[in-house]
Amino acid sequence: MVEMNRRQFVAGATAAIGASMVMTGPARSADTSIEVSSTWGADKPFQKVVDAFNAKKLGVTVVNRFDGDYESATAKAGASVAAGRPPAMMITGWKFGYFAKRTLGARDLREINAAKADAIINSFRPSVHPLVTIDGTLIGLPWAMSTPITFINSELWKAAGLDPNLPETIDTKWLYENAHKLDAALKGKHPTYRSALALSNNEWTSQSFIQNAGGYIIDPQGGLALNSPEAVAGMAEFCAPASEGLWLPVSAKDQDAAFESGALAICTTSSTRATTFPLGPAKALTTKFPGMPGHARNMNSGGNFLAVYTKNKEQAEASLAFLEFCASKEGQTIWSQVGYLNTSVHDVPLINDFMKPAAAQLTDGLTAETIWPGKRGLEGQDVWRKWVSRMLLKEVTPADGVKGAHQELAGLISA
Amino acid sequence: MPSRLRSLAPYLFVGPAVLSVAIFLYGPLVASALLSVLDWNLLSADISFVGTKNYATAFGNVDFRTAAWNTVLYCIILIPAQIVLPLLLALMIHSVRKSPMQGLYRGSLFLPTILAYSVAGVAWSWLFNPVNGLFNEIFGYFGFPPSRWHTDPNLALLCVCLVTFWKTFGLNMLLWLAALANLPHELREASQLDGASPRRHFFTISLPLMTPTAFFISVTTFFHVLDDIVGVIDVLTHGGPAGRSSSLLYFLWQQGLRFFQFGPASAVAMIIIVLVLIVTWLQFRVVEKRVHYG
Repeated sequence: MVEMNRRQFVAGATAAIGASMVMTGPARSADTSIEVSSTWGADKPFQKVVDAFNAKKLGVTVVNRFDGDYESATAKAGASVAAGRPPAMMITGWKFGYFAKRTLGARDLREINAAKADAIINSFRPSVHPLVTIDGTLIGLPWAMSTPITFINSELWKAAGLDPNLPETIDTKWLYENAHKLDAALKGKHPTYRSALALSNNEWTSQSFIQNAGGYIIDPQGGLALNSPEAVAGMAEFCAPASEGLWLPVSAKDQDAAFESGALAICTTSSTRATTFPLGPAKALTTKFPGMPGHARNMNSGGNFLAVYTKNKEQAEASLAFLEFCASKEGQTIWSQVGYLNTSVHDVPLINDFMKPAAAQLTDGLTAETIWPGKRGLEGQDVWRKWVSRMLLKEVTPADGVKGAHQELAGLISA
Repeated sequence: MPSRLRSLAPYLFVGPAVLSVAIFLYGPLVASALLSVLDWNLLSADISFVGTKNYATAFGNVDFRTAAWNTVLYCIILIPAQIVLPLLLALMIHSVRKSPMQGLYRGSLFLPTILAYSVAGVAWSWLFNPVNGLFNEIFGYFGFPPSRWHTDPNLALLCVCLVTFWKTFGLNMLLWLAALANLPHELREASQLDGASPRRHFFTISLPLMTPTAFFISVTTFFHVLDDIVGVIDVLTHGGPAGRSSSLLYFLWQQGLRFFQFGPASAVAMIIIVLVLIVTWLQFRVVEKRVHYG
């Protein structure tokens, strides 16, 4: 047996630790670690995309950091940027496009690596390229896209004696007539029925109505276009069921809870609910979002893009490596499980038939949700939401509401 | 220890505390005051001095004025409720202090205080849900028409008050309980011997002896009300419908951390600080005179 005194033991141990540090040091530094500020936690499919990428051991380790909803994530990113340490990447809502580029400093992917950036964006349908093109630069990968569609409680629909074979494309005339029939047949007679309709009391579906009437909130050139007869017509049609007692405007959270429990007959909301609504107690059927009679449909979308914010060259390159995986068929197939639309050129099957109306709307063509321009543009969404509420509460007429919103928004956007 | 070092000792002991107060309290205060006269979003290099423009913008903003008025209403409703009702509950619990159930009552009533706002928000949203919430089901059973509760512009503020009260009364109740437990038994026995009724004993002996607690509760409740409603608004109404349940602090949070308008947000912060200082000064000038420190 080899005998060792204390001095020898300490010297040997120090040498062993030092050697191991020298040996593992290069191996550790070979892996570039990047953090993605995201709106999804570890239990969501985005984590599976991250895990699948990390499993490939490409020398880049991605860490998914859950930062709350779009607003919270953007606020935290803003604080990080102010502190001089922007997140390497962030899931950024479409609506923050201008803010991401002009204020947070989202990188032009082509500036990092033009060839890779072009390969990434060419994995997506040309129709979605404009959504991530701000000020002529490519500011991210179009990641999540949803669109509002119509969910119908099949049990209540049948109980009211209505035809369960829904048309593929519907308009408000058809929808409101059926809502009236539902109300007349079930009010006070059905144990779970409480309300005929909910169109989502937010800026998203009201934008759909305005666009389906031929108008815009912000036109494709980025100008405020709310003060138009089309916008007034869209909002008048949007508010009509609330005035007639068919729709009790509540928050999106309350609306979803009411629909899921079977108390609400018709609900227009994000197509991502196709992964839950039809499979729960509501046993929902789906069809397209209602168009406006006599007008061409012009539906909008919601969602987010994956943007790169880091100024560090190595981190930026590593971010592009992750984006390449996200744009691949493998990445898109894992991601599709969450219920967003497949905007890539890869052949990824729909996760269920309830997604068909949403996929059809994508094929028809989707605009972005309102991307609020201007230095104070982030306030735009809340201002518009406030005026939508005032119109739904009948505090102002749609004409006055649209005019008032236009004036207030014009002040914000030009600030 | 050398005498020179000994003379420095108090400063060394107090130093860290003073330093942390300077960094975390007075530092942000000075920064807010500076930001309130600048046009700067902290993110860009564009900084310009705008003088009182941010203050004028705040006062000219209809949403700020609505939030300010709502804050007054919140204070009028919640401050008396947060002082008086916890006292009544504390008296009831104190009256059963020898019962083994007292701990259960106290724990149950204090439970909402330690619940997360997000949990409370989910529970109350379910109760208030205008389409199929429990309240409407119960009221409907008795023939009342359904209410829109927190989505009704006339009820939203009251709903926030109700949830805020439910969420926060526990702390004041515990403070009152502690004050009641510390009242001298001899005085109760003496007043009983003199034939004083329980009501007379309470108003002429117990309450005056508890005025230091009452003063402390009245001062801290004012701050708590301003602060606590923000959490409830955030999980329940988001300031809606159409700004009817917003408050000054919620408006400030929106301006600063959602819209990155740090100039206007700092101006609102300075306005709030001035208002809080005025109210607190008045409380010390008017109420403290009635406090018996024994």
